[in-house]
Amino acid sequence: MNPLIQMSPEVCVVLGGCLVCLIGVARRSSARAVTSSVALVTLVVAMALTAWYGRPGDAIQPAGLLITQLSMYVRWITLIVGVLIVLVNAGTPADEERGEFFGMILFSIAGVMLTGCANDLVVLFLAVELVSVPTYILVGLSRTDARASEAAVKYFFLGALAAAIMVYGFSFLYGAAGTTVLRGASGGSLSEHVASAGRLTDFATIGLLLAFAGLSFKIAAVPFHAYAPDVYEGAASSVTGLLGFLPKLAGFAAMIHLLTAIGWQLPTSLLWLLWGVAAATMTVGNVLALLQTNVKRMLAYSSIAHSGYMLIGLLVGPALGAGPMHDGVAALLFYVAVYGTMNLGAFAALGSLTVRDEPAETLDDLAGLSRRAPWTALALTVCAFSLMGFPPTAGFLGKVYVFSSAFSLSPWHPFRTAMVVLVVIAVINSAIGAAYYLRIAAACYLRDADGQSRVSGDFMLRVGLGICGAAMVVLFVIPKPLVDRARYAAAAAHPRRDAHVSVVELPPS
Amino acid sequence: MDSTLLSWLVFVPTIGAVACLLAPREVTRTVAMLASGISFVLSLFLIPPFLGAGDEMNAAAVFGSSYGDALHFIQRIPWINGESFTIEYFLGLDGLNLPLVILTTLISLLAVWASWNFDEWKINKGKKGYFALLLLLETGMLGTFVALDFFLFYIFWEVMLLPMYFLIGVWGGPRKEYAAIKFFLFTLAGSVLMLVALVAMFFYSGAAVAEYPELAVSYRDGASVLTTGTFDLIELATNEAIQKYFGESLFLGWRFAPVMFIFLFVGFAVKLPAVPVHTWLPDAHVEAPTPISMILAGVLLKMGGYGFLRLCYPIFPSGGQFWAGTLAAIGVVSILYGALCAMAQTDFKKLVAYSSVSHMGYVLLGIAVMTETGFQGAMFQMIAHGISSPMCFFLVGVIYDRAHHREINRFGGLWLTMPKYGTMATIGFFASLGLPGLCGFVGEVFVLLGTFEARHTFTWAVPAAILAAAGVIFTAGYILWLIQRVYLGPQKPEYADYPEATGREMAILMPLAALCVVLGVLPRVVFDYMNGTLRNILDQIL
Repeated sequence: MNPLIQMSPEVCVVLGGCLVCLIGVARRSSARAVTSSVALVTLVVAMALTAWYGRPGDAIQPAGLLITQLSMYVRWITLIVGVLIVLVNAGTPADEERGEFFGMILFSIAGVMLTGCANDLVVLFLAVELVSVPTYILVGLSRTDARASEAAVKYFFLGALAAAIMVYGFSFLYGAAGTTVLRGASGGSLSEHVASAGRLTDFATIGLLLAFAGLSFKIAAVPFHAYAPDVYEGAASSVTGLLGFLPKLAGFAAMIHLLTAIGWQLPTSLLWLLWGVAAATMTVGNVLALLQTNVKRMLAYSSIAHSGYMLIGLLVGPALGAGPMHDGVAALLFYVAVYGTMNLGAFAALGSLTVRDEPAETLDDLAGLSRRAPWTALALTVCAFSLMGFPPTAGFLGKVYVFSSAFSLSPWHPFRTAMVVLVVIAVINSAIGAAYYLRIAAACYLRDADGQSRVSGDFMLRVGLGICGAAMVVLFVIPKPLVDRARYAAAAAHPRRDAHVSVVELPPS
Repeated sequence: MDSTLLSWLVFVPTIGAVACLLAPREVTRTVAMLASGISFVLSLFLIPPFLGAGDEMNAAAVFGSSYGDALHFIQRIPWINGESFTIEYFLGLDGLNLPLVILTTLISLLAVWASWNFDEWKINKGKKGYFALLLLLETGMLGTFVALDFFLFYIFWEVMLLPMYFLIGVWGGPRKEYAAIKFFLFTLAGSVLMLVALVAMFFYSGAAVAEYPELAVSYRDGASVLTTGTFDLIELATNEAIQKYFGESLFLGWRFAPVMFIFLFVGFAVKLPAVPVHTWLPDAHVEAPTPISMILAGVLLKMGGYGFLRLCYPIFPSGGQFWAGTLAAIGVVSILYGALCAMAQTDFKKLVAYSSVSHMGYVLLGIAVMTETGFQGAMFQMIAHGISSPMCFFLVGVIYDRAHHREINRFGGLWLTMPKYGTMATIGFFASLGLPGLCGFVGEVFVLLGTFEARHTFTWAVPAAILAAAGVIFTAGYILWLIQRVYLGPQKPEYADYPEATGREMAILMPLAALCVVLGVLPRVVFDYMNGTLRNILDQIL
């Protein structure tokens, strides 16, 4: 098949982004107003293209791309959550900045989709940066506040540093393998190099370490988390909802690619390091979130904590053909989709509120929300309980899958005990987490109506918020469609499966 | 015997909750009454298969010859499944949960009725929401009692927290936010380790059937062999392969059974509540509105005891042996400490709350000694307390509605003002005291006897029994002193014009009072329905 057709969803999103940018410079305000609708149409067309042409197939060799079930999964959830992101942000930007704003959202979405398809270190780097660079701009555009500019600058410089570290690491990997191709290609790839050497060489280990350090920034893992609270607080709430999803998904997809390439054979030292990072990330995130009264900062720390839970899935790795309870990568992929939605919902609810013409930020602003805006309060509370990991919401299933995957390691696995300990740390952390998520629900329902917040009338925002809230309950009752796709995607990441045939025996998406 | 009756029973209140939200505000309480009434009537239809079980000949037919042999009203639907795991929607009824289910529907019905004067409450906003949440709570409680799949059980267990949290937090007293959050966090913190146990038990059972395929015969048909891990609570308890593996494997270097036992125990002990994790209870009770206190004391606390008997002991008998002394000590401390705290209270409601801590200590002690009499006593104590404590809380509520305070020392001579109410109060508090002839007596005596019986197994059994028996004296102390201060003595002028208990209030108290007497005189009406299952559990674990 023509490579361009296989990549048509990404091409469509990028072209849509360009179109939106062009419309944004139109003279008439009414023309600029359609940018959000054009962005939505673009995403819907991209979905249609994904459904028609987006089949997993051969590597697109010169372009460094490989479409697997993992790519398909990343495409689908990015597009679906992307629609929600556009809905939630429909009213965020200033009138004259609408073009750039939605254009950047689309570029960032295209970046995530490309990350899912990347099979080459260079492409991977470019894709991850295509996710990040637009988000720096989005943070700056989202508000006219000085804090937004501060956040954008901070995010940009630290992001640039992380990118530099990551690409430095990639250069080591290239030096070790002699090729930038990740896997599957005839004539040399990282996976073949590792396979022939039997284990990861020290040189490659350093590369991997640096690459993971850079990617840890994207997923906001300790010790590269420090930017998150300031950036989340500085950006408009609805943009913050996007920050918790797109970079995180891209970061985890890139990590999965790298680990797949080396056959999930991490050296013990690196395993212990990641173990420590996971434990520290969830603990630091939850404990610091507990101390916040600003809801945006609280959710920023919560975002850090959730990365810690997701790292458990990454450390467990994929298991062929097993369900998410036995398969760390499947559990991780399920979790990241659910997290993106519930996090977006929480920020969307926050973004729909204003206090004396200022955006609502603190718990006091939410007080008594259930009386003034019962539906917004309900959606926010559902998302908060889902973040808490409380049934009947999808967040609960996500946690159960991630935690149980750690137990699924065979009793002879040298790392099993450590993983079980990590799960115990994680459940204690979820109890800590419950305390601050509960404060959100308490502010909405239990406090008297002394908060001053008003609900904005933006229709699209409320539709997006409603979908996020409803999705959490629906995915709890009917998790199977998403779980199955996560399973196929994880199978594509399994080392024993050659990339070319990785999907043949599995049902098509 | 397959049936959908339990599903109807569990979800009729949910349907009622939706109806409450949709119906006009004037009929909300009628709808709620109707829904809880229907579920009460439905729960009575659960009794027939258990009739005649008191007869030795019939007992085996009703309860089966071993645990899990004769479940009634079974419903099994695969819910979330993959190749290697199945989470089932699995409901069933045996002697362990039957009495608790009927207790739940009865107390819920009375609680809805006790909410009849909602419009006169201090916080009377959100009437529809209140009744809807009350009914959702009933769904959660019934679901927890009848779910026999661990995953489903856990979900009901957690979901039940939500309505309770909002009921206390929105319609509670001055410190409602604090009390609601404390209630929620204590219970949640207790149950996170249960989640670890849930996952661990699933994977260890999977390893067990792989290790001993020849032993892994399922109880369901007695022939098929289990090939994957399971969440089925009965399977976990009865499958020989799983039991063997659970008994010998390690978890993080410790023996699996005692560790899992404790993981589960913590969650149930919070709910029970056992000292030292009981501190949420007085706060929750003091702030909760009267009907919610009735449910909290009458039903929610029973989930702790039910959890021990359904999960901890049948699945990890060696864990029970291992921790017996510790649990008995916690039980005795709860009995004495709860009673002493109750004696020190000046707030009427707090006193009743601490008396619950003391009474549930008997449940823990009775279970910990692992004798048949002890189990029977613990189970009976749960039912008896489920009747007497909602009655006591309602008695407090009646007087609070009139006086708007709960200071024990400011009351006096209420019997003279309200003779009918005074009579009911005497029955309720004497039942709580454990007066022979009333329901509280039977449970306590059985627990004490059961503890003495265990003296050959446990050296500490006799001192434990003596200390627990001393608790009875403390109980008598604080209850008699309470009655004296509130109901006896000269009539006080500020309370002289209080109206007698209304017809509705008497109608709520009467059935409870009647049950206090009936259960005290004829304890068989409860024992007959549960002894068979308790004996099966004990046969299996000893």
